[in-house]
Amino acid sequence: MIRRLALSVCLAGLLAGSAVAHHNMSALFDFSQRFTTSGTLSKVDWRNPHIYLFVDVKNDKGQVETWSFEGPSPGFFRQRDVGKENFEASMQKSVKIEASRARDGSRSGLIREVTLADGRLVSLCPQNC
Amino acid sequence: MSPKLLTIPAAICLVALSAAAAGAQNPQQDPAERARNIARQLEQNARTLTLYDRQGKVISTIAEKHIFNQPTLSPDAARIALIKPDLEKETVDLWVYDIKTGTGVQITSNKPRENVQAPAWSPDGKYVAYVALRGSRYTIFRKPSDGSGAEETLYAHQGGPIVLTDWSLDGRYLSFYESDLAGSRLYLLPAEGDRTPIEAAKSEKEMLAARLSPDSRLLAYRSNETGRAEIWVRSVPAPGSQAKVDTWQLSTEGGYGMVWWKRDGQELFFFGPDRVVMSVQVKSGPGTFEFSKPRPMFKAPDSIPAQSNPGAFGSVSRDGERIVFSVPPLPPLRQLTVFDRQGKEVGRIGAPGLYVQPTVSPDGTKVAVMRADPQTGANDIWAFDIATGTGTPVTATPDGENAPVWFDNDRVAYVSMRANFASIYRKQWTGQGPEEQLFRYTSGAGMALTDFSPDKRFAMVDGGGIVLAIPLTGTDPLKREAVDFARSEFEAGAGRFSPDGRYVAFGSNDTNRFEVYVRPFDAKTGEAAGEMKWKISNEAGVVGGIVWRSDGRELFYHVNDNAAQELRIMAVDVSTTPEFKASAPRELFRVKGPLPGNPPQWKHITPDGQRFVFAVPRPATSTK
Repeated sequence: MIRRLALSVCLAGLLAGSAVAHHNMSALFDFSQRFTTSGTLSKVDWRNPHIYLFVDVKNDKGQVETWSFEGPSPGFFRQRDVGKENFEASMQKSVKIEASRARDGSRSGLIREVTLADGRLVSLCPQNC
Repeated sequence: MSPKLLTIPAAICLVALSAAAAGAQNPQQDPAERARNIARQLEQNARTLTLYDRQGKVISTIAEKHIFNQPTLSPDAARIALIKPDLEKETVDLWVYDIKTGTGVQITSNKPRENVQAPAWSPDGKYVAYVALRGSRYTIFRKPSDGSGAEETLYAHQGGPIVLTDWSLDGRYLSFYESDLAGSRLYLLPAEGDRTPIEAAKSEKEMLAARLSPDSRLLAYRSNETGRAEIWVRSVPAPGSQAKVDTWQLSTEGGYGMVWWKRDGQELFFFGPDRVVMSVQVKSGPGTFEFSKPRPMFKAPDSIPAQSNPGAFGSVSRDGERIVFSVPPLPPLRQLTVFDRQGKEVGRIGAPGLYVQPTVSPDGTKVAVMRADPQTGANDIWAFDIATGTGTPVTATPDGENAPVWFDNDRVAYVSMRANFASIYRKQWTGQGPEEQLFRYTSGAGMALTDFSPDKRFAMVDGGGIVLAIPLTGTDPLKREAVDFARSEFEAGAGRFSPDGRYVAFGSNDTNRFEVYVRPFDAKTGEAAGEMKWKISNEAGVVGGIVWRSDGRELFYHVNDNAAQELRIMAVDVSTTPEFKASAPRELFRVKGPLPGNPPQWKHITPDGQRFVFAVPRPATSTK
């Protein structure tokens, strides 16, 4: 609604404020280091202020490594008619994620796009782009 | 807010614009109400496209008012490229307006939630280039400026937000920059052939609104490396050259962007302090450059934000003779006004000003408020004596302070974002004495202070859709760690302790609309005690303003009546012993809206529940 414009530009985000990035994304993730990976969605943490997806990915040696991917708040998805249930329906199934790589080299990333098991593409822009 | 967003103001502005456009429509909203909302948004935000000469004389106004953004004059100063939302369709698009006729041609046809920003003209005016976010990529396109033909992709960026700033006079290169924690980089993008960007300049410091001089030997930009936004120029060595980079600081009193070069490279312009358009004369010889002191050209209208985003509101023509601004309406002044329980105005506090979020002291004699300085735009905390109306600045910093809450009758606490950290500070309400840091939040994360527990052992904050309790233990504020009080997939905020400290009232949208709830507070851990939760409100439009009466027998909150454009002040009888009980809510009175500010935060009621303080646009009115 109208108030979102004002709320989005004032720091006191308050009740509807999680539309704005919560913590320092560019401190944690390098937006110029984009990568794409596929794996099995093993866990969904669907809470404010950021959701997390955990994906089991096979590395070059065939070993399974668990990666964590961070996304915006659940409210971001609600506004796009995407819910927790859409992600839970992909549990233990293959998903594809395009993300910005973590600056510390850990197995984590900031999601830019995710393709769910049913082929649905969910863009997390402009929040994460 | 993350530095990435802060350092790409144009991008965030457009994101906000997209959000405004997207937010104007709600499929479930009554069509008449939606139309009223759109009309209201236009009325409050529509800007007048105004063309000035370099003495500040108005040459003309162009087209009907609208939410125009980033107006960019064509090379012949006959047309303006700009960004404009369509609130009906929830889209944001690039348009080109003819200055003489005031007619506009739509250049892009975006879908909802796509955006476009940063228009740049080709030197012959035949094309306009722009950055659009399509899918998950910031992409530079160009299209004929008469709207004909298809858009042509010039470059799809792999990284974060980019800002297009210019198209070289020989037509060969477009320039764009990106800025993040790793620094800032300016690139030249060949307009034809192999369109691989060439890095033209790099800095570890902030480098915004960066524009190359017409001969590409200098780069003018805005940077905060002195702690304040100023305008700088640096030399640009030829590709492959090992020549050292020289830098010059042109402004010393503040420089906020809108950096434009005259076509001959002998003058550059920028938006200076107090909204003054500044000019700098440039003399260049073989390897030498001289810059005059900035000279004021004219003062832009007061309604333009003093520290506005670079390029958001205006641009300068290539010949330096014309300046265009999209001039927003002046924000209405607000009068701190006291109402009784029947909604009758019973007093006014101080003179009108740019106030939001009045917060009454525990003894009911003073009110703290956020005040924006009309000249500088800086947000500070002020305190007023309710009886005399005398106001005193509590803070006076360039950082900006918000979310005031009285710690006790003598000290006000507030939040300020400094060096990328939001912290809670407290200070004497008289403004005297040192400021004391109470808590520092996660790097880059915003928060809003909402309350202190009655025993002062906890602060309570909104931390991005979650309610956090912060134990104020120990002496090192950097070691204090927040505890989740309410955290789920739904948004929660505006937590307020009951006077006995046993409960917290807060807002949450876990039924897909905001409601007021009460939950027990565990003073040992800072978490909610048990699973008990009582819903207090029972109507749509809850917006916060949750306040307990000091005896714990009544709870207040606000509901927006969008159709009537009124704020309903609600009250609920409550008891907290032996267990929590609440009556059905009842309306006490209504205040004519819309009221600016952040309603969830208001803690604006005297402890006896008899007086209600609002910052109301003049003239103050109430109904009922």
